[in-house]
Amino acid sequence: MQIAVASGKGGTGKTLLATCLAKVLTNQQLVLVDADVEEPNAALAFSQPVRKTITVTRLVPKIDPDKCTFCGICGEVCQFNALVTLQDRVLVFNELCHSCGACVFFCPLTSISETDHPIGVIEETGLSEKATLITGRLVMGEAQSPPLIKAAKSLQAKAEVRIIDCPPGTTCAMIEAVKGSDYCLLVTEPTPFGMHDLELSLEAVKMLGIPGGLIINRWQAEDNELAVLSLKSGFPILARIPFSLELAQAYMQGQEPLQTMPELREIITDIYHQVEETLS
Amino acid sequence: MKEILFISGKGGTGKTSLTASFIHLAGNCIACDYDVDASNLPILLKPENVLTCAFSAGYGARIDGESCVSCGLCAVNCRFEAISPDFQVIPLACEGCGFCAKVCPVQAISMHPRSSGHWFQGRFAEGQTMFYADLRPGEENSGKLVAQVKTAARKTAAIDQCSLIIADGPPGIGCAVISSMVEVDLVVLVTEPSRSGFHDLERVYQLMQLRGIKGIVIINKYDLNPVIGREIEDWAAENGIALAGKIPFSTLIAESIAEAQIPAVHPEIREMLFPVWENIKEQLRLV
Repeated sequence: MQIAVASGKGGTGKTLLATCLAKVLTNQQLVLVDADVEEPNAALAFSQPVRKTITVTRLVPKIDPDKCTFCGICGEVCQFNALVTLQDRVLVFNELCHSCGACVFFCPLTSISETDHPIGVIEETGLSEKATLITGRLVMGEAQSPPLIKAAKSLQAKAEVRIIDCPPGTTCAMIEAVKGSDYCLLVTEPTPFGMHDLELSLEAVKMLGIPGGLIINRWQAEDNELAVLSLKSGFPILARIPFSLELAQAYMQGQEPLQTMPELREIITDIYHQVEETLS
Repeated sequence: MKEILFISGKGGTGKTSLTASFIHLAGNCIACDYDVDASNLPILLKPENVLTCAFSAGYGARIDGESCVSCGLCAVNCRFEAISPDFQVIPLACEGCGFCAKVCPVQAISMHPRSSGHWFQGRFAEGQTMFYADLRPGEENSGKLVAQVKTAARKTAAIDQCSLIIADGPPGIGCAVISSMVEVDLVVLVTEPSRSGFHDLERVYQLMQLRGIKGIVIINKYDLNPVIGREIEDWAAENGIALAGKIPFSTLIAESIAEAQIPAVHPEIREMLFPVWENIKEQLRLV
């Protein structure tokens, strides 16, 4: 079973929920994938050393200057302006390249080959005998995160439970992270910002055709608007995590949230059972 | 003309509440929201739109079923698994590279501009201008949309002889953030005193350094964790980054946001944020 933990707005508690799920579900073979590769934070919730680091690359074109006649066809073929032909050389802009391979295919002289361009690393951390954390970490200055997210998700694909900590927003990176999941937990907060961004992320999850439910974090009292949105969207409210300044403070200080707020364990377990039930 | 950009790396540190507040304190400036896929600044500034423009990030392939001979060349060459076994284009997977259209032996595939969202020009307060956008869920190229919003804002600033642009940035360090930083004079780093807040701050700061941009730090909700707050202060001092201010956790700010109001409209918050704004202005004079 693969559960994505997502939210439109940043800072609503995605990582808190994803890491707590990983801590509570101790009976299964579990992998937690931190797919927020721009700013991965799940590892901070566990003080475990990284046991393996893999470099992730994507393909970019490489021009053989001895063969190239500067005909300009590669530049015409490229939709992303990643190749510019000058009189005596071809400039390649790796950061614009989408690795589609069209330039290689259409070069009349086979003077273009492909070479690996590093975009980030994947760190593997053992959390317990049964649980592993996979963290994707994007290289500074790299604009394209989806290939790294895809690579991180492809590891340990057979684990019984897979939890994906997704990047905020609703762009292609979020879609890549949520894609292929059996269920999507959308974490929100009861503020106008939270509401607005939740509506957008509901649209994205619906586009993927994945069932999901809402978790209201920092819940205080009223959540009428969220309840209405839940009814309209068909995404039930699975849990309300009460606002607690003590929890916020403890979480910021790196203390164990499950200890600071003991009822959190029950809430998290209950969320998992509801997901299990929906999927069975 | 100068441009100030508010970013944080981590989401939820209070960027938008503070950006809106400083826009309010600044008065005569153009406001921008570069968080194009989850734009929240308009919720506080409540602009009235005067211009709506369609945005197309690129192209999408379309297969004409009647001319298609099901040879499969398109699917074999597509690296994005965007062509289904029955030769339909999967729009969410298609990156618009056009490889399929060029390789199709019977010209059954054509490329069409895809509608990826909109950007808007609006008026708020007493005739101030703001720019923001709305990227459709699942679309890529948010950086390109950010660039369009930025170009429109800079053009208007030049025409109106407005000397200041204040922009709310997106979270992360990816394409939208990289695009947000173009031509920016000063980045205000809004952080919170947590391990993740600090970790993300360091990453986004490295990105700024790659681009040679100056920054100034605000530690928001400082009192929730003075220990890491102190660590962030030391880190800023070591890196020669000025501290604009330390803002305590405030239920007043939370209440303003709950009511979709700009926090700095409240006199108490205004008083608290005023010296922070003075520090930012001073730093801007120095760059």
